[in-house]
Amino acid sequence: MESKSRKARWSAIALTTGMVLTANGVATPAQAAEKKLTIGFVVHAVGNPFINQIIEGAKAAAKDLKITLKVTGPAGAEGDAQLTAVQNLAAVGVDGIATSVPSASMMKGLNAVIKAGTPIVQFNGFVDGVNAPYVGEKSVESGRLLGKMVLEKIGGASAKGSVIMGNCFPGFPVLENRSKGVQESLAKAPGIKIIGPSDVKVDAAANFAAWQGLLAANPDALAMVGLCAPDVESIGKVNAAVAGSKTIGAGYDLTAGNLEALKNGTAHISLGQTPFIQGYLPVYMLVDSIRNKIKINKSGFIDAGTEIVTATSVTEPFGSAPLTFAKLQKMSTSPSATRTYYDKIVKGYIKNWQKNLKPIAAESA
Amino acid sequence: MPMRGASKSRRFKFPEETSVIFALLLLVAIVGSLRPIFLKPENLLNLAASYSISALLAGCIVYLLSMGEIDLSFGWILNLSAVIAGVLMIAGVPVWIAIIIGIIAGGVMGAINGVLTVVMRLPLIIVTLGTASVYQGVSLITNKSGSVVPTDEKITTNIFFRALGGDIETPIPIILIFVVLAFVVLHLVLHKTRFGYRILAIGSNPEAARLAGIPIKQTKILVCALMGFVSGIGGVLFLGFRGAVDPTTGANLLLPVVAAAIIGGTALSGGAGTVWGSLYGALIVGVIGVGVVFLGIDAVWSTLVTGLVILFAIGVDQIVRVRKNRAG
Repeated sequence: MESKSRKARWSAIALTTGMVLTANGVATPAQAAEKKLTIGFVVHAVGNPFINQIIEGAKAAAKDLKITLKVTGPAGAEGDAQLTAVQNLAAVGVDGIATSVPSASMMKGLNAVIKAGTPIVQFNGFVDGVNAPYVGEKSVESGRLLGKMVLEKIGGASAKGSVIMGNCFPGFPVLENRSKGVQESLAKAPGIKIIGPSDVKVDAAANFAAWQGLLAANPDALAMVGLCAPDVESIGKVNAAVAGSKTIGAGYDLTAGNLEALKNGTAHISLGQTPFIQGYLPVYMLVDSIRNKIKINKSGFIDAGTEIVTATSVTEPFGSAPLTFAKLQKMSTSPSATRTYYDKIVKGYIKNWQKNLKPIAAESA
Repeated sequence: MPMRGASKSRRFKFPEETSVIFALLLLVAIVGSLRPIFLKPENLLNLAASYSISALLAGCIVYLLSMGEIDLSFGWILNLSAVIAGVLMIAGVPVWIAIIIGIIAGGVMGAINGVLTVVMRLPLIIVTLGTASVYQGVSLITNKSGSVVPTDEKITTNIFFRALGGDIETPIPIILIFVVLAFVVLHLVLHKTRFGYRILAIGSNPEAARLAGIPIKQTKILVCALMGFVSGIGGVLFLGFRGAVDPTTGANLLLPVVAAAIIGGTALSGGAGTVWGSLYGALIVGVIGVGVVFLGIDAVWSTLVTGLVILFAIGVDQIVRVRKNRAG
């Protein structure tokens, strides 16, 4: 019996080795890139449609700047695993690292990497105290904007009733800021009672179930407001399942599913946070600062802008060209169409990133 | 017959962990040969330090697996213990007192798991499905759904934070030294004490253990409390190592920790376990994770490889168990 057990263990070893070797076979060509700058790009979750849009932005920058991009990140958002990925990239010897920073526990480790000579740019989520600039939305302000738009839809300052709020990731600083902004705007209507924010989970199926339960428990709610990428699509499906539902659906991000919910009228407002810029700009900043010896080892903030989208209108930031809903839908699944649309931003706002760098306090103003 | 026995006893017997050590060395050699920078001592030490807390938990979950049980809540016990310690420090409680309270809180949470298992006569896995959410929820209420970051200079200059956080330079990270010492203790307790023998006996055959007069309920509660206690230690170590604890800290520990124990050679069916094997298993999980970054492979592969190895190990365990039962 012992020999069988040992045999099994050796088989496991062989399998493990085989898997690593097989995996290595995929990566080898990427290692051939020599002399070219190599930038690490670390995301907080792999396999999320919104995060994928950010990654596509980073890949577009890598292509334009002729550098090698190494994308990595944990399967689920967890700061320690993400910090380990950043540390590993630094140990490999990449020239710079762009990373989202979802956890305060990453600060010490990130500052150690910066101190050791690897420049870092934060994107999508940041921690105050990391000695690196941050590219993202103005989170409190975008919350205020969303709250204001919802309030307009449900009757303005005289509105009376309940508004359900959901947060897929309680504790995530950017989401908490959005929540604060939404509640600030809704507070202008004294007759509004906010239910939540409830934990509506990140996973798409769990997210849908959470919103379904929330609406079932509060069938007279005037609006459902989510703070994360899966929410608008889920809210749309929940509304679609309730005959004659008049509940306003609002939330964030312009994934294909969210846009479809806006198009078919089951959800009503979605704010985008320009994932293309959040991916492109950090890579551009790193490459530009390395090539031109610009020091970026201190905190700062560059606004990636907010996109305001309803079924009938699309407003893009920084004086971008007008955009139709149909074209936005096409862009949500087409990295090349997205790159083409943002060409003006790349040649203007992004190229002049130093002029747009503000103190970090501007993020949550 | 005596002749055969004598020749058997003379034959050199490799330690139980030989195969897993070989696997670890092989993996290190493969990654190192493809990316020699990986073999730099500081990289290897940083790798070991990064995975030391999950290794510590793997060393302790061997106790539960050996008893035929599994705890799903230890990641949240770690989180809540760290949150309690951090919040107390911020509130002005002396650092060492806060640390002790955090660890004790971990032990109490583990004991609650054990008592519920015994009282409700349910497997620990079912009980901890519930308590994991309870501990996570209490943590979210305590930390007000935000990170706990002790920033007061009085706290951050305490030797606990300076030593674990790397402000005091040592050839080997302090956290690593601590975890290795903890492994020595965990190994001795499981294999050299009556308590350890009882755990293995319960895992091997609960009915026989009961007939032999082993106090099964008490032992279960004690092992659960030990798991909580060690998770509490893991929590305060995390707080010292990273200088903060987040609402998500510990959320994703279950898979790598259980994988480490299983890859290390601990059977899911209970009755046997190797503490040192779990350390090597944790390092294998670490090398796989770090290796894919060093080799420039997309992160998706890391998750896939870890998951497949666990499935394979569980499958092998099941096959061996079924054959063992048939033979019996």
